[in-house]
Amino acid sequence: MSDNKQKVVEIDRSAYEFKDIETEKDFYRMEEGLDEETVLKVSAEKNDPEWMRDFRLKCLKIYNEMEMPKWGPSIEGLDMDRITSYVRHKSEMKNSWEDVPEDIKNTFERLGIPQAERESLAGVGAQYDSELVYHNVKDEVAAQGVIYTDLESAMKTEYADMIKSHFMTLIPPTDHKFAALHGAVWSGGSFVYVPKGVKVDIPLQSYFRLNAAGAGQFEHTLIIVDEGADLHFIEGCSAPKYNVANLHAGAVELFVAKNARLRYSTIENWSKNMYNLNTKRAIIEENGVMEWVSGSFGSHTGYLYPMTILKGDHSQMEFTGITFAGKGQNLDTGAKVVHQGVGTTSVINSKSISKDGGIGTYRSSVVIQSSAKKAKASVSCDSLMVDSISRADTIPGMDIRTDDADVGHEAKIGRISDDAIFYLMSRGISEEDAKAMIVSGFANPVSKELPLEYAVEMNNLIKLEMSGH
Amino acid sequence: MNKDLNMKVNVLPVLTYGFLKVNDSTVSESDIKIDSVTTPDASKMPKGIDVKRGVDFIEAGEIFIKNKDRIMYTTGDFAGPNADTSGRNENQAIRTGMGIDVDELMISAGAKCDVYTVEENVKVSEPVIIEYKMKDGEGSISSQVIHAKKGSEISVILAYESEKEFGGFHGISTRLLAEEDAKINLYKIQMLGDKFIHFDDIGGACFKGGSINISSLELGAKKTWTGCLVNLAEKEAELTMDMGYLVRYDNFLDVNYIADQRGKNTNSVMHAKGVLMDSATKVFRGTIDFKNGSSGSAGDEQEDTLMLSPDVINRSMPVILCQEEDVDGRHGATIGQLGEDLLFYMQTRGIDEEEAKRMMIRARLDSVARTIPDKELEQRVIFYIQNII
Repeated sequence: MSDNKQKVVEIDRSAYEFKDIETEKDFYRMEEGLDEETVLKVSAEKNDPEWMRDFRLKCLKIYNEMEMPKWGPSIEGLDMDRITSYVRHKSEMKNSWEDVPEDIKNTFERLGIPQAERESLAGVGAQYDSELVYHNVKDEVAAQGVIYTDLESAMKTEYADMIKSHFMTLIPPTDHKFAALHGAVWSGGSFVYVPKGVKVDIPLQSYFRLNAAGAGQFEHTLIIVDEGADLHFIEGCSAPKYNVANLHAGAVELFVAKNARLRYSTIENWSKNMYNLNTKRAIIEENGVMEWVSGSFGSHTGYLYPMTILKGDHSQMEFTGITFAGKGQNLDTGAKVVHQGVGTTSVINSKSISKDGGIGTYRSSVVIQSSAKKAKASVSCDSLMVDSISRADTIPGMDIRTDDADVGHEAKIGRISDDAIFYLMSRGISEEDAKAMIVSGFANPVSKELPLEYAVEMNNLIKLEMSGH
Repeated sequence: MNKDLNMKVNVLPVLTYGFLKVNDSTVSESDIKIDSVTTPDASKMPKGIDVKRGVDFIEAGEIFIKNKDRIMYTTGDFAGPNADTSGRNENQAIRTGMGIDVDELMISAGAKCDVYTVEENVKVSEPVIIEYKMKDGEGSISSQVIHAKKGSEISVILAYESEKEFGGFHGISTRLLAEEDAKINLYKIQMLGDKFIHFDDIGGACFKGGSINISSLELGAKKTWTGCLVNLAEKEAELTMDMGYLVRYDNFLDVNYIADQRGKNTNSVMHAKGVLMDSATKVFRGTIDFKNGSSGSAGDEQEDTLMLSPDVINRSMPVILCQEEDVDGRHGATIGQLGEDLLFYMQTRGIDEEEAKRMMIRARLDSVARTIPDKELEQRVIFYIQNII
């Protein structure tokens, strides 16, 4: 059956790694490196309130004192002295599409934002480098009382106290070195507040892009879904390719109140020189529901483990994720959950595909504290090896501290079955199509959770990667 | 001789989140008394086995150093897993589950090694039985090498026991080499008193068609560390590890099992089943490592933990590392208490909850105990299990 072995070649990803032909003259760039002066400059540029300026300085101190993580992929190639922490486009906040500069519009058009608008999707907050440049919330969403704006502006409104009482409380700067870095230099990002009982029928979408060489992106997303409310938030990322290592150390903090539900979907497709050290965390109150849908395709190196704290009794979490690690990529992904409340449930379903020397690692933790009586946790992770020069590692951890819990875990590592290919070929399907079908089927649990346009993009990406065309 | 122990052992083959506290374990005990550095006389020694008693620990490891290239064989030169820790133990004659700190203790304390060798094509059907009858306050470390030459077979039972209320120190290192088509069956039964500090370290290698089968029961001791790493170095080598445990009171059990699969068509099976009671703590690390070149191999790891108290702590790390396309690796874990359906069924048959629990504990431990190839010892272990539950 050796003739049936996979023949996958590196594809031309230029369709996903475009960069507009534009000069960088429009960009304001700070001197590279990170010290107190830089942080104060960022703070001044942002017109931070005093508490935020002090917070940034505190984070810088923690950053300088903390060690690099000892586990996970190597980040030796990341030279922090060469990362410009803050790059801001000269254009200011825009309220309407017509006012957005043409060059940025071109970039967004290639990302599909206008199409999303045409399809009457919700307000689009798009981040260009480190600054939110275009922000538009559909009237119908705003009319429901939903606040969807950039975090920096929101800090100067009546929501200032709400932000202050939530900002980096779920992800404290002491959490890890890159959380501290984020706290010191964060810029841009979204603030969403869904009032009590409001169900947002259409998903809110946000696109993030990195465009300048050596630029770090530290956007902060803060979402509060109040009691009985319901929201679907979609985050998509892509970035053009440069020679200098790029860093993405964003933070996402999600607060889901009693009886509320939040679905957070992400397709990450950073270029292959990106170090994606993103931190995402959610806390769920009584009967609340958190759903993560996560697709990781890009980046040179990725650390990504959305974490959920099931604080309230009978709160629930479901994580569905897929990771595709190709040539030169080391993607270390998974999920973390902490059960605190009685009767809490979590379901983690993860898939990973490794090819062309890529390293795909599934890493997770399930912690059931002694208070989480009758908690249930189920973990399933499948890895597919496409060749013998790649790696697929599964590193799940469980810490169970009550007898009154029910924990199930299963994992499989294997290859595309020769028998399955043979079966499909005996039904008149070509070998190449058979393999693509099998991998698409493997990814199906993730793609079926995505909105149509994202699922189509993800399936196309898988098809391209598998066919080699 | 008295010694302060400060050993870092059971290092996970790949590091993960620090907060899980599973990356390694520390044996930190001061003023440990070591009265004996030798293995006791075998209570049963069948014919056909060549025994060298009291060999220097380093000298006894030479058979592994001589074969290091075969044992550590790998194809290609590819990146290891993220945060790979395997380099830590590369200076051991044969890498073990607990790691190099145990070797260093053995060497510094002057531990003597008994070497059991079975000549080519000699199959010894009767087991060697070595029993450690520990006294209160006694300290012992010892070491064995079991070498099964081509086509041979040997079974060894190592049983450690003492009165229930006794305390002391017991440490053991066992190194195994199964040559082509040879078979080593190793049984380890720990029935030490509730105040004992105990460690049990195993390292092994199998050549083409060779197999190592390990059954172990951890039933006593205050603190226990046990580790096992077996290299399935050549094609069609096999490993089975079957573990049963019962951890009570505030006792502690820390386990690190690793199947290092290098040859083609190798097979590993790793099963751990046990019971946690009172405020016991257990850490189980089980790793299947498919190295490049291990095509056609399979690995299966299953863990079944019954938790019978709200105060127990159970940590599990079922790891699969894979650098080969054509492999089939899987692991599963079931952790929790007795199912309500099962309890209800039992009650409808007139069996109350306490009796149902006892039955479930016995089911987990007896299945391992019944593999012991010596009737008298098997019955003694089963009786011991019945007594403690």
